[in-house]
Amino acid sequence: MLKLKPKIDFEVSVEAEITPQLATLSSDEISNFQVYYGKEKTKLGDLFEISKEGDDAKLVLDGDFSMVKWVGARMDDGEIVVKGDIGDHLGAYMTGGKIVVEGNALDWVGAEMKGGEIVVEGNARNYVGCAYWGDMTGMSGGKITIRGNVSNYIGEKMGGGEIEIFGNAGDFIGTEMKDGTITIHGSCGFVGGDMKGGVIKVKGSFEVVPGFKKVEDGFEGDVNVGGKGKITQF
Amino acid sequence: MHHMLHIKNGIVVDPKNGINAEKMDIFVKEGKIVEESEVDVKEAKVIDASNKLVVAGGFDMHAHIAGSKINTGREMRPEEMRTVRLIAGKFRASIGRVLLTSPAIGYEYAKMGYTTAFEAAQPPVGALHTHEELDAIPMIDKAALPVFGNWHFVLKYVAEKEWEKLRAFLAWALERTKGFGVKVVNPGGVEAWMYGGNCKSLDDEVPGFNVTPREIITGLIQETENLGLCHSVHLHCNNLGTPGNYQTTIETMKLASKFSNDKRQVLHVTHVQFNAYAGSSWRDVASGAAEIAKYVNSVDNITIDMGQPIFGHATAMTGDAPFQFTLHKLTGSRWSNKDSEIEGGAGIVPIAYLPKNPVHALQWAIGLELGLLIDSDRVVLSTDYPNGGPFTEYPYVMAMLMSKKMREKELERVSPYVQKATGLAAIDNEKTLYEIIQMTRSLPARVMGMDNKGHLGIGADADIAIYNLDPLSIDTANDFEAVYKAFKTSAYTIKGGEIIAKDGELVKEIWGRTFWVDATSNASIEAIDSDLNEMFEKYYSLQRQNYGVEEAWLRKPERLVMG
Amino acid sequence: MPETKEEELTNVICTFCGSVCDDVLFDVEKYKGKKFCKLGSAKFSKKERIKAPMIDGKEVSYEEAIEKAVEILLNAKRPLLYGWASTVNEAIRLGVILTEKVGGVYDQCASVCHAPGTLALIEEGVPGGSLGEVKNRADVVIFWGSNPMEAHPRHPVRYSVRAKGLLIKDRKDRKVVVVDVRKTKSANMADLFIQIKPGYDYPIISALRALVKGEEDAVPDEVGGVSKQQLKELAELMKNAKYGALLYGLGVTQSRGRDRNVENAIKLIQLLNRHTRWIIWPMRGHYNVVGAGDVPAWEVGYTYAIDFSRGYPRFSPGEFAANEVLQRGDCDAALIIASDPVAHFPKASVAHLKKIPVIQIDPFPNMTTLISKVVIPSAMAGLEAEGTAYRMDGIPFRVKKIIDTEYWSDEKILELMLEKVNEKLGLR
Repeated sequence: MLKLKPKIDFEVSVEAEITPQLATLSSDEISNFQVYYGKEKTKLGDLFEISKEGDDAKLVLDGDFSMVKWVGARMDDGEIVVKGDIGDHLGAYMTGGKIVVEGNALDWVGAEMKGGEIVVEGNARNYVGCAYWGDMTGMSGGKITIRGNVSNYIGEKMGGGEIEIFGNAGDFIGTEMKDGTITIHGSCGFVGGDMKGGVIKVKGSFEVVPGFKKVEDGFEGDVNVGGKGKITQF
Repeated sequence: MHHMLHIKNGIVVDPKNGINAEKMDIFVKEGKIVEESEVDVKEAKVIDASNKLVVAGGFDMHAHIAGSKINTGREMRPEEMRTVRLIAGKFRASIGRVLLTSPAIGYEYAKMGYTTAFEAAQPPVGALHTHEELDAIPMIDKAALPVFGNWHFVLKYVAEKEWEKLRAFLAWALERTKGFGVKVVNPGGVEAWMYGGNCKSLDDEVPGFNVTPREIITGLIQETENLGLCHSVHLHCNNLGTPGNYQTTIETMKLASKFSNDKRQVLHVTHVQFNAYAGSSWRDVASGAAEIAKYVNSVDNITIDMGQPIFGHATAMTGDAPFQFTLHKLTGSRWSNKDSEIEGGAGIVPIAYLPKNPVHALQWAIGLELGLLIDSDRVVLSTDYPNGGPFTEYPYVMAMLMSKKMREKELERVSPYVQKATGLAAIDNEKTLYEIIQMTRSLPARVMGMDNKGHLGIGADADIAIYNLDPLSIDTANDFEAVYKAFKTSAYTIKGGEIIAKDGELVKEIWGRTFWVDATSNASIEAIDSDLNEMFEKYYSLQRQNYGVEEAWLRKPERLVMG
Repeated sequence: MPETKEEELTNVICTFCGSVCDDVLFDVEKYKGKKFCKLGSAKFSKKERIKAPMIDGKEVSYEEAIEKAVEILLNAKRPLLYGWASTVNEAIRLGVILTEKVGGVYDQCASVCHAPGTLALIEEGVPGGSLGEVKNRADVVIFWGSNPMEAHPRHPVRYSVRAKGLLIKDRKDRKVVVVDVRKTKSANMADLFIQIKPGYDYPIISALRALVKGEEDAVPDEVGGVSKQQLKELAELMKNAKYGALLYGLGVTQSRGRDRNVENAIKLIQLLNRHTRWIIWPMRGHYNVVGAGDVPAWEVGYTYAIDFSRGYPRFSPGEFAANEVLQRGDCDAALIIASDPVAHFPKASVAHLKKIPVIQIDPFPNMTTLISKVVIPSAMAGLEAEGTAYRMDGIPFRVKKIIDTEYWSDEKILELMLEKVNEKLGLR
């Protein structure tokens, strides 16, 4: 297990593409791992206190990591626990393993993820499980759970997997979604525009955009794209 | 500062001067190739080219490298821009997968031994934008071809048979756009698109003008020749991208039969692969390459370029707006369109050529058939970048044309549809190194009428590429991997006498010239003065006085006066 | 004084709004414009100027101010270089290269107005056309969330409403529709005004798509305050146009739905082109906001919100747009050119700007001047400096210099800054 703690309050953001695999490296390698502090290329050890206990693939991030981006990006195994808040692109492109954030996350949680699990105990912001600009498919496997609220653009172009939001969400839930499931326990805004497939379940209030036809257990559409997506209330 | 160079012991292939793999020295002074006696051999920097191929710098005569089309392509496709080629430092940051930034375009050509590239479609009203982007491309010489075939002046003058006025208009427009020659894209068809239509055959009438593509093409060839331009009409045919269109293409080529020119073709038909389909639908589409090749080989006034697709990502971008809409409907992909004043239009649609897709494999095979079946002094190697894919894969096309073995290997991974719908597998022809150099150097220079380009004779521009390939020992038919590798990155690229790239690394950033053609002394511009005033007043949304590009606004313009 | 005759005045190109009127005239002696609209004429009249370059309010030479600015940019971990929409391409190009060299963030005014249109372009492309085509062909023009009478006063006359051309010979040949949340001045000139509920552009466009497609069942009786009947009529009107133009404004891009509104509208236009001809285009604000996106696109691949901290460009609007950067406190210096974020940005953004060293380049003093450590006055493009600008439809113009000035142009200032940066970085 590897524990990281910021040495300073970061003036500008830090980009640290760290995965649990880092914990399996030698202390030297960990300390010398390259990260960016603004435009400065620097070493992990210069920005974070590092303590290593054993070689198991687990990262514990202790402190305020809200200015730290790309944590867990492309990870394929192991575990990350964030004791505080975390920055953008948490678990982007990940294919396996588990991330738990005890605080809040920012944008692009689990963007284009293919497998594994992300749990955020607090809130997240925009683009949960979305596709990056210009890409055709968002999240396509795995599970994202947000216990708090989220903002706009959730599960857009989703091709599979599961997103569960326990709080409220903003607009554009499952836009251009192709497959997979989005569950929202609270309320949300516009749902399902240009949805081709998949299922969206909302417990609270929501606004279906025109293009959906009423069916027995909810709505089906979007007819504008000949879609067979499902929106239901539970 | 221009060094003198002494390129020693290289094996020179220089088709224009009939030199085929001869060991010789080349001398360079003040950016030109000179006699040995002109150079102080002690002062000159010596480049040891022993056992290496020495040729003129590559000349890409048809690529979309500058202006609103490629730029909108970049803006539409951030996913294309995530490939990082070079981090900022001594040189600019260089990025792009197939669509490249302007610095990246210059850098990649230079690394490959190419030293000249022409933008093949400049929207006239956007000429200044095109030139700004050309000015942002380092390393190479360049030029732009403004697009004429749907410009209302052209439609009007052809309809009225006002040939003198048409000639004056061509000269006026080339001067105003700082353009190089007469590009024509789907003549009449783009005007028809403004009403939702197209002109698919040579005799479809253009709405509102009582004129047909046949008349537009003929009129433009006639007046381009009368004006004495260094480049011929450069035509993107009607009916592009449609099964059965090879017949339209041959019919179009026949329009040139009554014209001739001692120095060059009178009609260059571009990216012919997209216009070489037989069949009646996408279900029975087949290759029409053999018929086209037969016709092109039988006449001496037509040249073509291939428009070879490369498997992988590409972005279709042409002035053929109705075709782009059709492509959007076919693929369901993103679509940009731009109707442009009274001049024509354009469209952009992303595409990926997949080897297992029967149509894509067919297109790939047709491009190669054209390259193989047509004489090497009539067909230029091109991908119609980025329509067919990256220009950085020219070495792939070169190697394929030279090796049947490589083609057989590649055929194994493509859709079997190619076997029944094209003749590629049965073609035994293997181009020689000499022919490949012809197709990438001397021929494109001749097609564009650039006497100082594409060869290594005395007085030529010192644009030279040296490759790690010994023509005297290489077996191009069998060592295709070595051929591909050698052409991918030059051992040296020399531009205007300066070493700009070495072993695939950039050495020095330089800025090439932008050529433009001034033919105003061969026509009477006064003849169209009042028409210009009237048309600007009525149909343009800008003032005539603010239309066009002044030479002083360009980084390094070079005016070519047509005598 | 008698009026000077038109032919004795100098033709200039207006550098105020995205209409870039190129038929306007200027009387150098009287320092007065002619044919301008109110907005343009205010810019082309005598105004208070920043007197001289300043550091901490103290007058210095251009060279000293530039030296200081370069020091700030190079010492910063993450400088933000923002503005650009009201200067010329030549300056923008140098600014983009400067940002690349100092490893900063390039962002431009579009990120607070029409950038959602750029995002929609990424999703769907944009089926568009030039303003001359609107003038020549458009028999139906829809202003959606745009108010040209107030934001682009000569647009209706020159290009869109009363402009005559090839097929449109008379105002009666053209149907003008305004869709907005309130009855704007532009609504008064329209043949049809449709008032919609704020924030409901997206579902209304979805409904129109369904109606054009013949999927009436999927449209409820009322959408966003508009009855199904009225939506059906609008859908029919659109289908029956010979050549339609949908010209959208900030009402679409800066209200609920933002980029998704534009994307949806583009999908509607794609669909309509299966029936007839339609184009869609944004009513861009600043005179060269198109250039502020196009120039970085060819230089570094993206139009705005570009980060160079890794030595190569990356695009992420939710991360690198000026307001995101400022509100996250994610920059430690800023260069503001041809813009006034202190006046126009949200409080939280301004609060961070006040904490960091700011360099300003602008012909005119504004709120941002007051918080700037280094102030560098510049010549006004279009009158005192020349250069290239792109009209809202991308058509390039070379704006003119007709008055001599002691002020340096933006281009000259940035050229020296870049030279100094290269020198300090040991590049040539």
